[in-house]
Amino acid sequence: MTRALLVVAGLGLLAALLGALYRQRRRTQALQTQLEAAAAELQRLQEACARLAPAGVVQRLIADRADTGAERKVVTALFSDLVGYTAMSERLEPAALARVLNGYFQRMSDAIHDHRGHVSTFVGDGILAFFGALQPNPWQCDDAVRAALAMRAAIRDYNEELAKEGLPPLAVGIGIHRGPGLAGLVGSRERMEYAFVGPTVNLAARVQTLTRIHKVDILITEALREHLDPRFVLAPMPAETVKGIAEPVVTYAVRE
Amino acid sequence: MPANALQHVAWEPCLLEARRDDALESYARKKLGVPHPTIRYYVDVPWLARALVDLHPEFGLLVHLDLGLGDLIQLVVSQENTCRYCYAAVRASLRIQGMSEARIRSVEGNLARADLTPREAAAIAFARAQSRAGPPAAAGARQVLLDAGVSAPEVKEIAFVAASTDFMNRASTLPAIPPYVFERAPDRLGVRLLRPWIARALRAGRSRGRATPLERVPSYPYAGLVEAFAGSPIAPVLAKTFEEMWASPGLTRRCKLLMFAVIAHGLGCGVCASEAARALQKEGLSQEALTSVLTHLDAPGLDPVERLLVPFARETIWYEPAPLQRRARGVRDQLSGTQFLEAVGVLSLANGLCRLGATVADHP
Repeated sequence: MTRALLVVAGLGLLAALLGALYRQRRRTQALQTQLEAAAAELQRLQEACARLAPAGVVQRLIADRADTGAERKVVTALFSDLVGYTAMSERLEPAALARVLNGYFQRMSDAIHDHRGHVSTFVGDGILAFFGALQPNPWQCDDAVRAALAMRAAIRDYNEELAKEGLPPLAVGIGIHRGPGLAGLVGSRERMEYAFVGPTVNLAARVQTLTRIHKVDILITEALREHLDPRFVLAPMPAETVKGIAEPVVTYAVRE
Repeated sequence: MPANALQHVAWEPCLLEARRDDALESYARKKLGVPHPTIRYYVDVPWLARALVDLHPEFGLLVHLDLGLGDLIQLVVSQENTCRYCYAAVRASLRIQGMSEARIRSVEGNLARADLTPREAAAIAFARAQSRAGPPAAAGARQVLLDAGVSAPEVKEIAFVAASTDFMNRASTLPAIPPYVFERAPDRLGVRLLRPWIARALRAGRSRGRATPLERVPSYPYAGLVEAFAGSPIAPVLAKTFEEMWASPGLTRRCKLLMFAVIAHGLGCGVCASEAARALQKEGLSQEALTSVLTHLDAPGLDPVERLLVPFARETIWYEPAPLQRRARGVRDQLSGTQFLEAVGVLSLANGLCRLGATVADHP
């Protein structure tokens, strides 16, 4: 009798032990699954971050190092702005306006990305993009002008779509300049971004404003032209003074 | 649920057709101890098929570097290059050889927190820098490595492991070699049951290298890289790969040199760029034409194949796999099968070796 009780108790203990082991195994499997999902998510996050800042900067951030990865670089800056946005914004309903704007931003960003550019920021209806900021790129000038030509073509196609919906056409003005500046993480403690700062960006933005004066859509500076493939067809524009620059700025319109 | 962190990366259907070649398969089995899983894709260009076997560092090429550290470098560089195929293959090999999933993840995710010695962490950081950003970034990381007490010959071997991984990554990514078998392998019941035997077979083929004299100094372009490894078993293997690559008739020597020149220029490797320039001059290319190729990726006088492959070469320096593979498909459709595969081999080799060039040739 005692022996039978002992066997039953032993079997019960064994069953309880097996049950506990089974539950533990299930818990481990669940944790493993969560860990794999988290690791895959982390990998995606790292890849997404690598599109916003050079991979070295991303690694330093992951390693919790405080340095900004700042370095001097020669970069090509492209600044584009939507012509006639104010008039259009008064005419369209907010929902339609947002849809048109998003379509515009998407197409412009694709054209820039397809030519190895990096959209740094959207400034209102404008776009600031860099070529050669994330990775060394000795072909950055040609890439930037090809991106601008792709943006011109994309706007043309987009306007055909908008016309079918009875919406007004869009037009862009694009200024491109090449020069040195400081690339790195800049911003406040709460909000940081990988940016390229310096007079190169300011001049690209100023050159963009000249597109309205010269009534063209793509303008480049002399500094950029010097490094550009001579097969691009350019037209010299009269030198103009711009805010913040002492000397008149010589620009060239890009035909094709 | 993804078994590894690159499984979500878009990957195009394979651009090549597999074909049996008993001689090449037996060559690979003899060298590696196990069958080479993808050699059938490369049989049309034998030098490339052989290089994919010969340049595996863990099979008799490393004299100073720990083989396990070599494995970790291959894993991290493959992750850096987003090569789903190589990453899955190295990962499967590490799992089968007994490395835990947690340790693999810690190495992939954050070197600072992984269970690594400072020397190991510095070695992996250097390999990552060489692969990612080329010579400019590798110079700083090399100093960290030397400060951590790593000897100069060991640095060269680390650089070689990263370069050979860069080569293999591109040779797999450009033609979109399917990664699925390796991605599923570690969790397959059969593999788990047979793990000890598979691990033993894998380990049996692996061996440490022995000092090997370089019998003759070659004279073809990039022989300087071979000389930089004189005394190491890496030198004769590199020499053989170069010799066969330059002699292979799929593409002209000038076309191959132009691809090397573009990649060296894109990476900012001065040593490799001037080597390519000298060799192209000997091929009769004018300085004006070379300048035009390097600055604008085209020049009057290039033939149609060169005009196609020169701009494609720059696409292979930094890339996302799927867009590069789509672009490669467009290139393949304009070339013969052998020309395309030879271009894959040359571009892959140039990417690995131009990253290696500045490290070993600048610091003999």
